[in-house]
Amino acid sequence: MTLANVASGLDPTFWRATLGGALRLGTPVIFAALGETIVERSGTLNLGLDGMMTAGAFAAVVGAGIGGWPLGLLLAAIAGLALGLGMGAAVLKGGANQIVTGIAIALVGVGLTTYAFQLWQPSGQTMPFVPLAPTIPLPGLSALPFIGDILFSQNVLTDAGFVLLAATLVALRASRIGLLLKSAGDDPVAAALRGVDVVRTRMLALAFGGAMAGLGGATITIGFLGSYSDGVTAGRGYIAIAVVIIGRWSPLGAVLGALLFAFFESLSLRLQGHAGSWPSEAYAILPYAMTLIVLVLSARAGSAPRALGAQLQSEE
Amino acid sequence: MTLGRLSPDQPATRLAVGLAIALAIAAGLVVAAGADPLAALAAMGEGAFGERYAIAETLIQATPLALVALGVAPAVRAGVFTIGSEGQLVAGAAAATAAIGAIGPAPAPVLLAVGLAAGVLGGAAWALPAAVMRAYFRVNEVLSTLLLNYIAGYGLLLLLKTGLAAHAMVAVPRSDALPAAALLPKLIEGTRLHAGVVAAPLAAVLLAWWLRSPRGLVYDAFASRPGLAARLGLAEPRAVWTTMLISGAAAGLVGWMQVAGVAGTLYPSVGGGLGFSGILVAMLGGLRPLGILAMALALGALTTGADGLQIGTGVPASLSIVVQGLLLLVAALAFNGRARPALAAPAEPSR
Repeated sequence: MTLANVASGLDPTFWRATLGGALRLGTPVIFAALGETIVERSGTLNLGLDGMMTAGAFAAVVGAGIGGWPLGLLLAAIAGLALGLGMGAAVLKGGANQIVTGIAIALVGVGLTTYAFQLWQPSGQTMPFVPLAPTIPLPGLSALPFIGDILFSQNVLTDAGFVLLAATLVALRASRIGLLLKSAGDDPVAAALRGVDVVRTRMLALAFGGAMAGLGGATITIGFLGSYSDGVTAGRGYIAIAVVIIGRWSPLGAVLGALLFAFFESLSLRLQGHAGSWPSEAYAILPYAMTLIVLVLSARAGSAPRALGAQLQSEE
Repeated sequence: MTLGRLSPDQPATRLAVGLAIALAIAAGLVVAAGADPLAALAAMGEGAFGERYAIAETLIQATPLALVALGVAPAVRAGVFTIGSEGQLVAGAAAATAAIGAIGPAPAPVLLAVGLAAGVLGGAAWALPAAVMRAYFRVNEVLSTLLLNYIAGYGLLLLLKTGLAAHAMVAVPRSDALPAAALLPKLIEGTRLHAGVVAAPLAAVLLAWWLRSPRGLVYDAFASRPGLAARLGLAEPRAVWTTMLISGAAAGLVGWMQVAGVAGTLYPSVGGGLGFSGILVAMLGGLRPLGILAMALALGALTTGADGLQIGTGVPASLSIVVQGLLLLVAALAFNGRARPALAAPAEPSR
């Protein structure tokens, strides 16, 4: 039975659940990818993103357990921000290679989180569940047929993702901050000559990107799962980096890329339950394979920040 | 221009200070777990080198790390950051298991040769898509290889549920046990040390020879001066795909070895982070054969030592992941100014 056969025989309820699920599952990638868009526009490639998301996912559960979901969000943002500043210190002040540092930060983030989780909940005990962030149906709009359920009855964190999209769009296109970021990412030498503090600009971008990755991790645990377990991000940090490239370094493109990945993730989750379908693992491959294919299709026509990934030169 | 001044101290000083800070953080984490750092260090030493069995386990752990690292070294030296060893290892392990199962009963030399060949080919085959994408479509190899790792992981689960599933009822998915003739012989009775350990020093000699050969020098030059390398007959696509296929083959070899030497069966966590840690070993070992062997031994000891630590003092074994990350960070910071061309080369954003 082919995928098309399965899909054509499915009713609107199926598609409503799949599309609504895609928005929910896409939220973590949307947060992380919007943050990474800012970071890459400033000229840094942050491969530590997945470690920051993992730390945020865990910090959110700890915070939500103590003081509810707002505290969870706060701790998640702080955890990601701290790792972002660490990455910035190593790359911008210490002159370390961005790729190697990113891998190191990913390891430190995942390792510290796993360590803290094992100390907090020694294996064999049950995982504590925390309350999720609330879902607030938008008055009026949520009553619309079909799209009301999909678009306007989402978790507040998903809504916040779209507010963040609007904010980054405005910041990049119509503000002085956007100009500073782009000048640091495209031509740091010229920017420095014109008096832009390139190191500070990139550092602030990394702090922001780290905080957004932390929040992205939080949207997994307190957005829909309700608990933390090792490997909870399932590589979404790397997916976020991929969708920034797929989206050609524009916030809107990144969000569309995130939704594409999430659509296939949601579809694979929905199809797993259907009679006559393949084993669930076959569907689990789908989002990763589709991301890879789109990455290939979008590779040649690019508009990367010109100084992306290049090390800042010193006088020595 | 004055963008982020480098501190004037020597790399050696930076390395020493960095290692001291990393050690202090690790000690702090041990204290946070309610254990005594010195006792923890002793427990780690005991776990890694305490008795014959522990030493054998450390070597079993170090061998795949060394082989993966020696395999990726040419790629990283040429400026190709392949992170796909984990998936290539899985592909090699699955290919070897399938091939051994397909030819049925046969003498040991045949089964060993088939397993080895299938592992190497399987690993190289899994590296091929990423190599082609980078060489001809300029797709960032860090991302393509990472995505292929996830696909390999789910693909393995799928195989263990379908084509390669054990015929007996098993609680955890795995393949049928390999026939005894297909297993690598054990070197020391009472331990799991298998004949595959000799492959690591052999591969190190091979890499040392290659690095000194004229071809090796051209590949090395590719990272910093692609133009020069091209005039010497090495164009970018060729440099990319040969080095990536070599790293895939090495990881695939490890995959076969983990199945035929250690476990005797194919199981979901056959990769076990070895592919990823192997890449760290390559970087920490300075992309040189001897450095890689030494770092593989050190990280192998860190892993088995961390297991001993968890059993002995209850400090979570994931401490070793943190330490690995910190070591890599220290290395990245210490060797910044006078870094090898490969490590200092700017990232290649996909265009």
